[in-house]
Amino acid sequence: MPKAFGLSRHALKNLARRPARAAILVAAIGLLVSSLVFGLSFVRRVESSIRKTADRLGADVLVVPTGSRGSAEDVLIDHRVKGFYMEGGLVERVRAVPGIERVTAQTYLVTLGGACCDVPDTMVVAFDQETDFVVKPWLGRALHRNLGHGEALVGSESALNIGLGLTDVDAVLFGNVFRMVGVLEKTGTGLDTAVFVDRSNVQDLIRKGKPRVAEGQVSVIFARVEPGVDPQVVAGRIDDSIVEVDAVARRDVGKSVLGALGDIRRVFAAFIAVASLMAACLAWAVFSGVANERAREVGILRAIGATESHVIRLFLTEVVMVGGLGSALGVLFGTALSLVPARGFAILRSVTADLGGGERATIAAVGLLVGTGVCVLGALLPIRRAGRIEPFMVLKEE
Amino acid sequence: MPHLVVERVEKRFAAGGDRPEAVKDVSFTVERGDFVSIVGHSGSGKTTLLSILGGMARPSSGRVLVDGADLYALDGDRLTAFRRDHVGFVFQFASLLPVLTARENVLLPVTLRPRAGPLNGAETRAVELLRLVGLGDRAGAYPSQLSGGQQRRVAIARAFMNAPSLVLADEPTGDLDEQTEAEVMELFMRMNRERGTTFVMVTHNSELAGRAGRRMRMQDGGIQEL
Repeated sequence: MPKAFGLSRHALKNLARRPARAAILVAAIGLLVSSLVFGLSFVRRVESSIRKTADRLGADVLVVPTGSRGSAEDVLIDHRVKGFYMEGGLVERVRAVPGIERVTAQTYLVTLGGACCDVPDTMVVAFDQETDFVVKPWLGRALHRNLGHGEALVGSESALNIGLGLTDVDAVLFGNVFRMVGVLEKTGTGLDTAVFVDRSNVQDLIRKGKPRVAEGQVSVIFARVEPGVDPQVVAGRIDDSIVEVDAVARRDVGKSVLGALGDIRRVFAAFIAVASLMAACLAWAVFSGVANERAREVGILRAIGATESHVIRLFLTEVVMVGGLGSALGVLFGTALSLVPARGFAILRSVTADLGGGERATIAAVGLLVGTGVCVLGALLPIRRAGRIEPFMVLKEE
Repeated sequence: MPHLVVERVEKRFAAGGDRPEAVKDVSFTVERGDFVSIVGHSGSGKTTLLSILGGMARPSSGRVLVDGADLYALDGDRLTAFRRDHVGFVFQFASLLPVLTARENVLLPVTLRPRAGPLNGAETRAVELLRLVGLGDRAGAYPSQLSGGQQRRVAIARAFMNAPSLVLADEPTGDLDEQTEAEVMELFMRMNRERGTTFVMVTHNSELAGRAGRRMRMQDGGIQEL
């Protein structure tokens, strides 16, 4: 049974006559689209991860010692181990700022493997269980009571990374023996790599372990604002009234990383623009050759009744097939690239949030649209020229 | 009403060419069902005249009326539709598309119709036409797998695909052997006789020309009835 014949089959047969030429164009469009998909996935993953991290902290405003904003973001977003401190009295001054509903503070102590502690470099977070609203939501089923003196919780990644996954084991932190009594759920923030103890332990930790922190000092004050109050306005008030601190509204968390990401995005955009131009030029060259080579065939088609639009549709179908195939391969390759080798990028190593199905589908659709569109744009002029071939001119050349 | 009226048609090419005036003041009429042959030396303007009759080349002056309608008063798409639906062309060179099989080449005129639906009926007709030209068993062959004569016969089958009322044939038996030439001519005569198809055939072969009901000669762009 012969296959049904129509415009698509005709186009497919035309492409198949020079498979190498079609393959080169497919490869060029594929590379363009894979770069685009990889770039978009990369940028969106980092952006989305930072936003989610800020949201998961549960605070509207973060208050850190003046000049320590970068360090705080390193700890909370990038999972780095850093210590920075301010006087504990600032907690009450922040609480007194108009628009603040509640505050809680955390103190970050950096362990030094071997010197003070029997775990590798990690962050010990001392938090106030009475006022806390940052750690508690992630306790889940880990613990149904308050942490006692000499007890600790570990973040979900610390559990794996520093071998504290098994609860009811003892670990020495700053010369004090702590019993690990639970593992926090995954937060997607820097808290995942920390060990949590109650603030009541800080005095002992300082006395025995001599970390670089004085009694009463805190690292970060997390604040929630009253309903209907703009966190940015409150952050501004804190900045204006307390010179010893920097206040960061939730939506501004990760601004420095996002700023750097903007530069990366511009580099990607420039690269994609150049790659698109090159792919369009290639499509133009390929289809100019195709149109010249098939001028006589087009003349015959026109003579036996093909309208200009039929010829254009035939060529467009070929272009869309090539562009569509290249784009589809590019989407697959770009997505794979963003999932596997992207782990080699430092900026993505700490990115926990993966893209959702909807976002991936949108990026794939953009890739398909751009790849096919670039191919069509590049081939447009030769296609229009082919459509205008007059049958008589071709017949007279015989 | 005559099927075809040619009124004082002239075709001039751009100055500087070696033959600026290809067709000079040509007038004649063709009745429905006529079989007209046109003979003439190479370069006498036969192919140009045939192209003008088929709506492929706009004359510099004069008119071509088909069933009373001025062909060149039609816009581009209507002229194309006229060629597709009413005219069958048999060119003087191999005019098959190399990527399509014999069957697909014959089907082409049907697929060019706007909103061409399922081709079931057309598929049957294409195979019948191929059988009629003696190529029923080569429907799946590509032009490169056919001899010159077989390619010509496929092109003839294609010319009849849309059941045209007018067939324009330019040296249709140019590269055929004597037997195939006779078969093709017989096919033309049968179509003309049984279906009333009008034929205008350009040929060098005076014997073939003699089989047509009317004979004309072209010389230096002009035409005269023989």
